[in-house]
Amino acid sequence: MDTLIDLGGGFASAVEPASLAFALLGVLLGTVVGVLPGIGPISAIAILIPVSFGMEPVHGLILLCGIYYGSMYGGSITATLIKTPGEVASAVTAIEGYEMARRGRGKAALATAAIGSFLAGTLAIIGLTFLSPVLVKLANVFGATEYFLLMATALLLASTMSAGSRAKALISIFIGLAVGLIGLDFQTGLPRQTFGVDLLSDGIDFTIFAMALFAIPEAIRNLALGRGAKDEIQGFGEDKWMTKQDWQRSTGPWARGSVLGFIIGILPGVGPSLASFMSYIMEKRISKRKDEFGHGAIEGVAGPEAANNAGVGGAMIPLFSLGIPGSATTALLLFVFTMYGLQPGPLIFRDDTGLIWTIIASMYIGNIALIILNLPLVGVFVKLLKMPKEILFSAILVLVVIGAYAIEFSLFGLMMLGIFGVIGYLMEKGGIPLAPAILALVLVPLLEDNFRRMLQISGGTFAPLVTRPVSLSIIILMVLGIVGPIVFRWWVSRRKLLADVTVS
Amino acid sequence: MTAHRTDLVTGGAIAVIGAVYYIATFSIQETANIVTPRTFPAIVGIGLVVLGLFLAGQAVVRHRKDTLAEAGPGSAGSAEAGTGSVPGPGAGGGTASVSGDADRSAASAGESSLETAGTDEAVGGVVLDAPPEPQVRKVVFQFALFFVYLGVLIPVGFLLSTAAFLMGLTSIYSPEKWIRNLIFSVVFAGLVYAAFVYGLAVYLPVGILG
Repeated sequence: MDTLIDLGGGFASAVEPASLAFALLGVLLGTVVGVLPGIGPISAIAILIPVSFGMEPVHGLILLCGIYYGSMYGGSITATLIKTPGEVASAVTAIEGYEMARRGRGKAALATAAIGSFLAGTLAIIGLTFLSPVLVKLANVFGATEYFLLMATALLLASTMSAGSRAKALISIFIGLAVGLIGLDFQTGLPRQTFGVDLLSDGIDFTIFAMALFAIPEAIRNLALGRGAKDEIQGFGEDKWMTKQDWQRSTGPWARGSVLGFIIGILPGVGPSLASFMSYIMEKRISKRKDEFGHGAIEGVAGPEAANNAGVGGAMIPLFSLGIPGSATTALLLFVFTMYGLQPGPLIFRDDTGLIWTIIASMYIGNIALIILNLPLVGVFVKLLKMPKEILFSAILVLVVIGAYAIEFSLFGLMMLGIFGVIGYLMEKGGIPLAPAILALVLVPLLEDNFRRMLQISGGTFAPLVTRPVSLSIIILMVLGIVGPIVFRWWVSRRKLLADVTVS
Repeated sequence: MTAHRTDLVTGGAIAVIGAVYYIATFSIQETANIVTPRTFPAIVGIGLVVLGLFLAGQAVVRHRKDTLAEAGPGSAGSAEAGTGSVPGPGAGGGTASVSGDADRSAASAGESSLETAGTDEAVGGVVLDAPPEPQVRKVVFQFALFFVYLGVLIPVGFLLSTAAFLMGLTSIYSPEKWIRNLIFSVVFAGLVYAAFVYGLAVYLPVGILG
């Protein structure tokens, strides 16, 4: 009941003209960055962080959260029409969605993506509304031990659950940790890993790191490619929107995608991208029309698009209620909270009740705005895809540079941007994913601080890890979470081998 | 470069970086705390060395396995089945594009199936096009231009350096549209400058115009 009263209060301030305007601007910008290939929510939020310094905290946060979930909608448009995902979470939509568009079913694909996104997004926010206060109560008994464990779990899961090589994901995490430890030790004030460079004692700015890794390699790569074949944009003239059969075929995937995405989203260290992949796999497994997959099966659009939006709502839960980001994007949002002097977790629900509920309420409104804006305006967004590449990417580079300048106001900050841009490019070239590094960079001070406090309280033993009931439960869950996927993979590969045997 | 070579080089580089990082921890002053300021950086340095060596070693082992599989004609068929029977051996490409490295995983999807099976085998038959790779020389050139821009931004000022940088980038890409490029470069630099300085009170360097 209290929750509903709080939420009501949140709505009251979320509908104030200024809040409403920022929510709309956020989802609109989110859609745009989602549509534009090469710039995703991470780059967009990082670029806007310096801009949001001067805003009211609640407005800045409404804006940046809006960009995050708005980008999930936009990504599906690009995926469907040019087979290039606008952002990672829409990568699977590029398969079935594009095939649908080629067969003159583009409108139906976009509609099932948008409606699924809306339903799943709203369900996830309802989940966020009611689950967060519960977690906040639980978090009250959390001590340094539990926080340390949760953050370690987030990092471990980010490497085991990520797509591709696990060793490379772990390397990415260690790179993030290594960069995060540069600077003065906050407990003793001693310089660490500065290699004698005084300017490094302030540490590497997180926003510069995120922008350098996410925006620069992509922009440079595209600019260096020169003019290739133009992307073919699928149009839709006389296409029909969803038919009755489309609705029937979409409801199941929407529902399953929502639940799956929400659960995966809550898990620390796992973002909405994995949710959309898992949903695609699931829909393909259980479908009666397996042969249609790869040739424009609507289930392959409805499920993943629902899942990635539900994943965003789910990912907000550990961020809001525990202050622990589960993905690179939520790590950025955590950074924004702390920039405003706010500490997500139990404290924010106690001391800044109005603010946090206004943000949650604005997410309900933003989702409604997205579905209203998206389908009618799809033609406008498609025009964005016709923007010449060189204009888009050179403009992104300039915006990133302004962002870095606005943080440090120095040549040193600009050079850091360039150097980490090169590092990001080399990492991509070596196949090392970038997102885990960002998560690790944000988590490392918290991880180290809680680790130290845990050992100080216990007098140097690791006993509290297993003697405290809450931390013991986390350990058990963590083991299940890490061993589970390995067993699952082993099982899948064994079955695959058996299948081969029967075929030959 | 083959996928294995890339992994070998990447792993080696990471191990070296880890070693340098670890050595740098020796200059951190020791304290009497239970967890000293050195503890975490040392763990991270060692972690990087171990992971780098693991990646490099894995690449060597896989390379050997591949060579063996190719050598034995009898086993070649079954190796083919192992990687190819799932519709589209590039299943890895679907998920690997997350890490922006579709071609590596597409190539090694077979061997790494144990590692990535959880997601990519099951995506089964998903082949996402690998992003095309630009020439190294062009990438170096683009980065060089970018660094020049970063270097002159403060002394020369935002307006002039940005307009020149944008004009340069767009003209390399499509020189015949120089009028459009010029208009874009000047207008974009001006608009952004006005928006940040007058709208957001973020003062950008004025340089020689000031």
